[in-house]
Amino acid sequence: MNLVRAELERLSARRFVQLMVVLLVLAFAVTAATTLVGSHKPTVSELNSAREQAADARRSMEVTHQQCLAYQDDSLPSGTNETFPSDCSAIDPIRQDRLPIAADYLSGVFNFADQARPLLYFLIAFLVLFGFLVGASYIGADLNSGGVVNLLLWRPRRMTVLAAKLGTLLGTVLVLALLASAAYLATFWMIGQTAGLPGRLDGDFWRSLGAVHGRGLVLVLLASAVGFAIATLGRHTSAALGALAAYAVVWELGGRLVLEIIDARRPDRLMLSSHIGAWLSGGARFFDPRLCAGSSGTDYCEGFYSLTWPTALAVLLLLTGGLTAAAFAVFRRRDLI
Amino acid sequence: MSAVIEIEGLRKTFHSMRSGRRVAVDGFDLLVEAGQIHGFLGPNGSGKTTTLRALLGLVRADSGRMTVLGEPSPELLPRVAGQVGAIVESPQFFGNFSGYRTLRLLARAGGVPVSRVDEVLDLVGLSDRGDERVKGYSLGMKQRLAVASALLKDPRLLILDEPANGLDPAGIREMRDLMRSLSASGVTVLVSSHILGEIQLICDHVTIISRGRRVASGRVDEVLAGHDRHEFLVRVAEPERAVELLHAADLTAVVDGEALVVGGVDDPTVISRVLGEQGLWVGELTPLRPDLESVFLELTGAYEHPSVPRQVDDSSLPHGEAVIDLDRGVDA
Ligand SMILES: Nc1ncnc2c1ncn2[C@@H]1O[C@H](COP(=O)(O)OP(=O)(O)O)[C@@H](O)[C@H]1O
Ligand SMILES: [Mg+2]
Repeated sequence: MNLVRAELERLSARRFVQLMVVLLVLAFAVTAATTLVGSHKPTVSELNSAREQAADARRSMEVTHQQCLAYQDDSLPSGTNETFPSDCSAIDPIRQDRLPIAADYLSGVFNFADQARPLLYFLIAFLVLFGFLVGASYIGADLNSGGVVNLLLWRPRRMTVLAAKLGTLLGTVLVLALLASAAYLATFWMIGQTAGLPGRLDGDFWRSLGAVHGRGLVLVLLASAVGFAIATLGRHTSAALGALAAYAVVWELGGRLVLEIIDARRPDRLMLSSHIGAWLSGGARFFDPRLCAGSSGTDYCEGFYSLTWPTALAVLLLLTGGLTAAAFAVFRRRDLI
Repeated sequence: MSAVIEIEGLRKTFHSMRSGRRVAVDGFDLLVEAGQIHGFLGPNGSGKTTTLRALLGLVRADSGRMTVLGEPSPELLPRVAGQVGAIVESPQFFGNFSGYRTLRLLARAGGVPVSRVDEVLDLVGLSDRGDERVKGYSLGMKQRLAVASALLKDPRLLILDEPANGLDPAGIREMRDLMRSLSASGVTVLVSSHILGEIQLICDHVTIISRGRRVASGRVDEVLAGHDRHEFLVRVAEPERAVELLHAADLTAVVDGEALVVGGVDDPTVISRVLGEQGLWVGELTPLRPDLESVFLELTGAYEHPSVPRQVDDSSLPHGEAVIDLDRGVDA
């Protein structure tokens, strides 16, 4: 416990951590301020006209659908040279994911329900980067400055010392992420209430936002642990940055190209970014025309395949767990100079 | 007396891609007993720091047996770590913290009452500067802070790796006084250095290391006595005639400038008698006692070619494998 307290003090005193927190607050303030400036509470007449426009749009969708059906029945009066899909149910308003609503026709009005998800994704992306960099620099700087050696002269238990560091890091990042996301969502919710539209904030909305939030926090923690583990393995903060850059260039770009050239199936399945996406949004679908290459003309081939979130989570956990275990194993035996 | 540090047959090889294999410590032995101020002497690169690092579990030894306060190290080092204060090479501290905060952090991590921080800052003469950032400290002040960190635990055993580094003469003197007073209060001290005068002034025991091996060890005065060639500096009016007379009396004698160096003398009265009987009156008769410096230079082979710049790895081992160990006699 004492060790964790001491580590907490070290972590919070790191210039880099402070800088990142300032950046976070800054990015947050800028987004909130621009949103606030660009939004206003709609007047009654604006609302009415938006409602009308939405109703018109819905009506015209219905009309088109009916025309499509009539066209199939050949009962459409000749002279219309509109084209219709072969399957009219594709444009059936009843079957659409969402129909035009009034909010779609309000310009310059911030709608919290619509915007909360992308805003949260932005915050999570920032926090993932934050966790990775802070995790790497925290141990990297300490390994290089002799801080770890000093500490080990005091407590010659390497596993305990490293575990205390990792634990402190994860705890701090989690608390920061929770505070940041709470403040972030609360601020935009307030903007929605006072200078925009709250939108439809029902149970479904909060449930799905909560799920994204929870999955995002897990991702932030995993990224922190990965940054920490790679920097420990490579003895430097830059090892983590280098590994990240190398991975992105060599595998996500180069590897993808090679897979393309050798006509491998489902290349996205092999990319970490796909798994991150799948985990965050609860599943992801990818298109691969090669999947249909062998299918006969008779059965219909969509060419899509999906990654489910449990698989994605398993991949991410395995990667993080493996790197962390390797970092501990190496640190246990390494010469510390 | 009980052994506080025992090292037997310590070996450590570094492997690096650029310079390949380097044997830093090669079958080294060390015995430090309770109550000693033990000097650990050797030229640069002889393996002092590596030995201390291995002892404290910072590097893994290839082979060898080590104990600290009776516990095998590094396996059971955590059991006694609370009683061992150590600095290894100039420790680096976090520059943004003040000296006080640095120590408070260590005190917390080690479960030492924070009140102890002011005590040790005072002990090393930093109490007025404790609130300044470490970044702004001079080398000597950082060294003092390092010593303070080692003292924080109120240790029974203090291990200091070149503590005089960067200290001014007054600082070196204070460090010496500090070590003496700690020793008087029962702390065993192991202090490494390449500065001989320092060791001779404060240490009662010494182990000399050269190229990773022990070349001498024992009480400082005995190590010196072991290298006493029983030589005397003699001034007389007619040096040449005196040399002949002394040779006739079975003594070795050479003219050295104005004076004579007479060797193989067990009893210096023989010199004045031999010369006096022939009317040569001795103006000066000074024993040429070896100091640690000459012993050190002799043992580490550092003075063989004074005109050629000496390279760090040129240090030698004594003739054959002979090791002078005054606690155990000379073994060849
Ligand atoms: N990390 C390392 N990698 C390779 N060689 C090393 C390393 N540390 C020390 N050495 C080598 O081991 C020898 C002993 O070094 P050291 O123990 O630091 O000497 P001292 O402290 O007596 O000056 C030197 O030749 C040095 O170059
Ligand atoms: Mg050294």
